[in-house]
Amino acid sequence: MLLQQLTNGLMLGSTYALVAIGYSLIFGVLRLLHLAHGEVFMVGAFAGLIVVLWFSLGPFAAVFGGLVVAGILGIILELVAFRPIRRRGDNYLAPIVSSVGAGLVLQEVMTKLFGAEQQGFPRQFAGAVYDLGIISITSTQIFIIVVAFASMIALHLFVTRSRLGVAIRATSENLEIASILGINVDFVIMLTFAIASALGGIAGVLVGLNFNAVSPFMGIDMATKGMAIMLIGGLGSIYGAMAGGLLLGVGEVLSVAYLASSYRDAFAFGLMIIVLLLRPRGLFATGIGEAR
Amino acid sequence: MAYVNPPRPRRHARAAMLTLCAGACAAAAMISMTELAHADVSLGVLIPSSGKGAAYGIQQQNAIDMFMEKYSDLGAAGKLKLDIYDTRGENPEAINLTRKLMGGDVVAIVGPQFSGEAEVSFPLAVRGEVPIVTPMAAKPGIANANQPWAFRYALTSENVYGPLLDAWVKHQSKPIKTVVVLMDGKDAVSANDGKNVFPSVLKAHGLQILDTITFQTGDIDYSAQVTRAKALNPDGIVISALYNEAAHVAVELRKQGMTQPIVAGVGINHPKFIELGGDAVEGAMAGFDFFVDDPKPAVASWAADFEKRFKAQPSNAAAEMYDTLYLMRDCIISTGITGKDIAADRVKMRDCWANMKNKSAPLMGTTSIEKGDAVRSPVVLEVKGGRFSVAQ
Repeated sequence: MLLQQLTNGLMLGSTYALVAIGYSLIFGVLRLLHLAHGEVFMVGAFAGLIVVLWFSLGPFAAVFGGLVVAGILGIILELVAFRPIRRRGDNYLAPIVSSVGAGLVLQEVMTKLFGAEQQGFPRQFAGAVYDLGIISITSTQIFIIVVAFASMIALHLFVTRSRLGVAIRATSENLEIASILGINVDFVIMLTFAIASALGGIAGVLVGLNFNAVSPFMGIDMATKGMAIMLIGGLGSIYGAMAGGLLLGVGEVLSVAYLASSYRDAFAFGLMIIVLLLRPRGLFATGIGEAR
Repeated sequence: MAYVNPPRPRRHARAAMLTLCAGACAAAAMISMTELAHADVSLGVLIPSSGKGAAYGIQQQNAIDMFMEKYSDLGAAGKLKLDIYDTRGENPEAINLTRKLMGGDVVAIVGPQFSGEAEVSFPLAVRGEVPIVTPMAAKPGIANANQPWAFRYALTSENVYGPLLDAWVKHQSKPIKTVVVLMDGKDAVSANDGKNVFPSVLKAHGLQILDTITFQTGDIDYSAQVTRAKALNPDGIVISALYNEAAHVAVELRKQGMTQPIVAGVGINHPKFIELGGDAVEGAMAGFDFFVDDPKPAVASWAADFEKRFKAQPSNAAAEMYDTLYLMRDCIISTGITGKDIAADRVKMRDCWANMKNKSAPLMGTTSIEKGDAVRSPVVLEVKGGRFSVAQ
């Protein structure tokens, strides 16, 4: 049973990690909490669902649809909800409130468009069940694990090996100096939002495929978990978010399996408090600039 | 030359004033007489139109629209008016809105819909002496604890599970001796059913509960709970949850290779249960007093009309709202409620519900009220071919 529970935790944790990376990327660059990120995740899930239901395409297309739509939404949010406020000077509260408002708007719009009911991917997407004796896993779950880890590896390569990745890291180190060095900071910030949101969109589709529960409210819990993971992993740390996501996923599943489901959230935030007490900057904290 | 005001024609002014007053008074009297002849009767309605319970509220709003189109005319009592408010499915909102409606001119309150909301709103209505009827809340005891003003139209789960378990046990080809209960620990009625109602009924049927495993409303990952259940290898699975969560649990059970028969609580009565659950819920059994494929002509035509208008099948929540409003209207007409003396009208409405015996409503048949709760016979259903049908 333990091995199956660890597999369950890995499934959950990999999607948590993708959401948390988005928080960390944006926090790393702008030092602000993007509280509409959970809703971006939700819109990504709906985008994947639409690709499947309206265009009768497969899971890869669904992931791509979620990635593209969420990425574009991230850019729009940056342009509409963040940039105008950022230009008016230092105000840490206004962008947070603005992102809360953007999140509520997205939630209501999706409720009006798709209804408040949960939607599911078609039944054939459940995939074949492979019973390996000690664990059973579906083909969809294998697909989810592969996509989640491929996304994380792709992000790592992008941040460490590409010029744009270097620009993002430089901007996260110091916005003004990056600007003086000739980096188009506005573009980098927009790109960061796009990448963070695209990862959130992928996570949305993966959660939709795995748990078949796409709804306008699916981002609420995921957002709070994403923030907890960011704090556990270290503010602004991509690798911290990856490790924190997996840790929290496995921990939550074990707490439900051996304690009770009501301890699920208590475990997540309890773990966050313990980590902050022992390592106030999180497990891996140094910021995006660590990736060099 | 200084300007001197012309002398005021006092007598004429007074006469004009008196004429105006008399005219105004006559007009007011005529208006109020017209009002008296056609005084409207108001009911307060509390539904979760937004928030996580919106799926129920939207269905109920549709049922309300259909009802008002057909039955808003009260004859001599004028028109039926509904003051509809959104509780968002939240207890504090339900409290505030119940207080607001109590202070207004409503003859009764229809709602709130969730057992948790009803538990906090009913005592207020009792103190304010306003009849309050929940169409949907199914947790045992909530109406009974708030007599003489609180009632419920939904069947309580304890009236459903006895006949349901009888049928479920007989229905299986392989005997069932042990079960695992998977329950939503956050939803009031599901938690109560999982902790109290199902265990007592299961015990009465000689079934052993190997474990009771909880999850929370809104969870999306049920893998840990199902893996724990699988390790116990029970003969059957009992799911006590609302339809979303119950469907996902069933999918996870099948995903992890568990093929045991499923019996579920009253919360799964919604077309979405089958839509989300798909093949995983085939064969699952439950007991309801309304189901969309009921062949009774009144139900069939109403369900077809609902589906045609709103492009969705009606759920239990919609049907319960429709019937509750129907019985409210019936009480208004039969007891001579006029909306003129609110306190007296509220007493009439209370007595009408308290003494309800074998009263017919369009969708769920004949209802009597005993200690605040509706009494009807449930139908045991089975998911077959993607639809609910009467278990054979």
